Amino acid sequence: MSDFNPVTLFFILYESMGVWLWLLLGLALVLLVGIVTSVLRLRRAGRPVKRPVIAALVVGLIATVAATFAVPAWTLAGPGALSAAIDYAFAFLFALVPGAAVAALVFMMAARRCVSRGAATV
Amino acid sequence: MKRREFLIGAAACATAGSVMAGGVSAQESAARARIVIAGAGAAGLSLAARLRRQMPNATIILIDAKKEHHFQPGFTLVATGLWSPADVTERNADYVPRGVEWIEQAVAEFDPDAKAVVTAAGQRVAYDFLFVATGLMLDYRAIAGMDLSLIGKEGIASIYAGPAQAAASAAAIDRFIETGGVGLFGRPAGEMKCAGAPLKVTFVTDDKARRKDRRGAVKLIYNAHNPAVFAVPPVHDKVKTLFAERDIAVNYSHVLKAIDPGAKRATYATPKGDVTLDYDFIHVVPPMRAPDAVRNSPLPWRQGPLAADGWVEADKATLRHPRYPEVFAVGDIAGVPRGKTAASVKWQVPVVADNLVDETAGRTPQKTYNGYTSCPMVTAVGKAMLIEFDYDGKLIPSFPFIPPLEELWVSWLIEEKGLKGAYRAMLRGRA
Ligand SMILES: Cc1cc2nc3c(=O)[nH]c(=O)nc-3n(C[C@H](O)[C@H](O)[C@H](O)COP(=O)(O)OP(=O)(O)OC[C@H]3O[C@@H](n4cnc5c(N)ncnc54)[C@H](O)[C@@H]3O)c2cc1C
Repeated sequence: MSDFNPVTLFFILYESMGVWLWLLLGLALVLLVGIVTSVLRLRRAGRPVKRPVIAALVVGLIATVAATFAVPAWTLAGPGALSAAIDYAFAFLFALVPGAAVAALVFMMAARRCVSRGAATV
Repeated sequence: MKRREFLIGAAACATAGSVMAGGVSAQESAARARIVIAGAGAAGLSLAARLRRQMPNATIILIDAKKEHHFQPGFTLVATGLWSPADVTERNADYVPRGVEWIEQAVAEFDPDAKAVVTAAGQRVAYDFLFVATGLMLDYRAIAGMDLSLIGKEGIASIYAGPAQAAASAAAIDRFIETGGVGLFGRPAGEMKCAGAPLKVTFVTDDKARRKDRRGAVKLIYNAHNPAVFAVPPVHDKVKTLFAERDIAVNYSHVLKAIDPGAKRATYATPKGDVTLDYDFIHVVPPMRAPDAVRNSPLPWRQGPLAADGWVEADKATLRHPRYPEVFAVGDIAGVPRGKTAASVKWQVPVVADNLVDETAGRTPQKTYNGYTSCPMVTAVGKAMLIEFDYDGKLIPSFPFIPPLEELWVSWLIEEKGLKGAYRAMLRGRA
């Protein structure tokens, strides 16, 4: 276990995913920039972040749970392959990747609506 | 003064100088040694990558005629029908590190007394240090009636021979499940690479038959070479239980010695004499030995259980040759108990590389190899047991949260998604 330091893990990930790793990191960066921009726009419009955050958390959680049962298919196995708690825990961790992406998108969309609604009521 | 001692002395001074000047890190050596690596497989490439980084002034020469590189642990997944041969086939050229010379020939002769090897084309290559990493040879001819060309025909499978044969084996398994009958599995008596693979093929055939609702049509028999299905007692117990639960019969102390493909009969040597079994499907795992060039050299053990098959004599902790101290054996060819897996290579390579670096830099080599070997034992599609053990057969799990004797999806995840990336990172000397 001690052998799995962050540098080794990075190389293993890179060798496993190739260019997909950079695409994934690029997507994460775009989503992060989108989230920060949305927060700034909400602040500028004087709108609270609470509602978009709740929407993002709810939809993100649903997406993560749904993806948890789809993760075994990514490993060429059926959902029945998950049996022990550790299986579910790992599948959930992997499902957090699409789940977080969905949550980020929902947050940005909800923030946009909030800002435009705010503008309409002014 | 011998050249090796001179090199070590000179390099120690140079290394000390550059460490003080901040030029060379503590894990490096400035030695100008001439290093030859015979074999550009898992061990050879991984060593070349590490030594290139850690010994910037050394001349490193890789010798291997093979241009393709095969991710052999993936052969099991090809035989399951989940991966294609292309998923396990790469080019050695993509992994030979910059600054390493690659002689694209086989070593035909090892001459450790003269500290040289001779290639198949007659090129003599001298060395200060030699790493023997030739892997092993699959001796199909040792089974009377067996031939490589039979794989995929007449109900004969064998996943060891290569990606094409693993794919042909997958088709043979599917045909067997369709037609039904008796399926024979087993392993050779001697040392072999990935001793778990014959068991994996048995489990996968059972699982595929169940998924196709054809389990009642096939009878599966595992022929163990000795009184155990696996050398590590707790693993033996677990596999025995799983076999019993899955109605897989076991014959103990049965070693395949001949097959008659026309009549579909296999002959096994047993303590009570030869036994012949009829089959509709057979998974043949050939005896494994050192390649001829190694076997015919002075390098193998001269006595003991590892002598007959030509495994290179090596200290089991340092992998150093006791009679030729400038020679090391790494990977499948090393004459050490167990340890014929890519996972073993992952732990062996840093030991020999760091020890050579230390030695040539004038420091005392400290690293030892504990016999670590590992095999995610696939027990069905989507399930595996992550079995890791050492020389003493003690289970040594890398991840405390993954119980080694439980059939888990997370262990399958490591087999299907994790191993290839880790293997490639190892080839680049990064894992
Ligand atoms: C079906 C199967 C399943 C496996 N499953 C697993 C698994 O799940 N986990 C695991 O860790 N390991 C597994 N392995 C084992 C693993 O692949 C090997 O242990 C590993 O590849 C050994 O590395 P090596 O460098 O010693 O030999 P190899 O990778 O075989 O490389 C040897 C190289 O030496 C070259 N060579 C041979 N003779 C000469 C010569 N005279 N001169 C120069 N070069 C020569 C060859 O061309 C080859 O390139 C499996 C193997 C098989 C076949």
